Amino acid sequence: MATFDDGQPIFQQVADKIEDDILTGIYNEEDQIISVAQFARTFEINPATIVKGIALLVNEGILYKKRGLGMYVTADARKIIKGKRKDRFYNQLVLKLLDEAEKLELTADEVIEMIKKGKRS
Amino acid sequence: MNAILECANVNKSYGKTDAVRQLDMKLEENVVYGLLGRNGAGKTTLLNMITGGISPDSGRIEVAGLNLRPGDSPKDTCYVREKNYHFGGAKVGEILEMASAFHPNWDAAFAQDLLKAFKLNPNKKIRQLSRGMESLVGNVVGLASRAPLTIYDEPVLGLDVLMREKFYSVLMEDYAEHPRTVLLSTHLIDEIAKVVEKVYIIEAGSILLADDVDNIRSRSYMLTGSRENVERFTSGKRVIYRESYGSGSLAAVFGAIGEDEIRMAGQMGITIDGLPLQKFFAYFIEGSASA
Repeated sequence: MATFDDGQPIFQQVADKIEDDILTGIYNEEDQIISVAQFARTFEINPATIVKGIALLVNEGILYKKRGLGMYVTADARKIIKGKRKDRFYNQLVLKLLDEAEKLELTADEVIEMIKKGKRS
Repeated sequence: MNAILECANVNKSYGKTDAVRQLDMKLEENVVYGLLGRNGAGKTTLLNMITGGISPDSGRIEVAGLNLRPGDSPKDTCYVREKNYHFGGAKVGEILEMASAFHPNWDAAFAQDLLKAFKLNPNKKIRQLSRGMESLVGNVVGLASRAPLTIYDEPVLGLDVLMREKFYSVLMEDYAEHPRTVLLSTHLIDEIAKVVEKVYIIEAGSILLADDVDNIRSRSYMLTGSRENVERFTSGKRVIYRESYGSGSLAAVFGAIGEDEIRMAGQMGITIDGLPLQKFFAYFIEGSASA
């Protein structure tokens, strides 16, 4: 993920990376995120692309701008990210998992059993 | 947006070989561009014309609003050549001093920081340097010049992976703080895919495609599935590469695929992945050559 080299648009991957960092607690709500220049240096990404990724998150209410200070995580950020990622979780991961299960001719019960076995909490 | 560089219908031939043909290019202010092409596609010829080293046979080149006439050096421009043929006897420090005289925005303190970061000894002579260290001296000049138009021809040639990463990282940070137009000419496409915002793809002396990197990424895909279904799904789409194996098939498609179509593809057992820029480039060039 942090290599930003899959086929997705890079601004999308930038947005995903910031969301990941919010979900895993690298940023908490009301924290300031790193500056565009720092992001550009750390991940070797074009600043214009980073700005586009940040703009996406501002539109979705995940980040907001404090004038003259920088970009901050909103109070609702985690809730918003979890909400939209649940849809993606189903569309991209669950459906893929079921495709793979079908190829392996696993029954629904066997898949559920595996999920229970692997579940950590 | 204002253009810092404009080429209109530029032509250059050597004997019977057309090195550059009817080439149009327009670089906006404060954008990082990639100039991508295979060896011999005309990249260096184009750069030499833009920077006044050679004159086009016909066509117009305008830099920072001024027409470039034969023998002129363009203003506001720093050109970091692939190879520095001159000044082999000069020391690294002397090269920087000379460069500082040419570039009004030169930042001497930044140049010193860069020497340290890239582990360059200012007292070494250019001819004593390895290929990679010589590239780095050029890159220090390019960065510290802060020229409104900075052009690099294969800037990471001979550099090990650590120094390459360091160069891209410094370039991105300094560009964020001091925006300017940068043109990176290279055939190492994967490495610059996230560094540049827009690319020009050059092949056989002409521009084949000029587009946003993310625009290309969001409209290029690799499909895999049964041959029959892949063929059915891609009919009417722009397929830039196709390969079959057994009863299966791969197809690279250029052109947006909507969400409904993606769902339909899933039901047809077709897997859709994004296409890395490097692959896109290879298929796109090959497709155009055979077309």
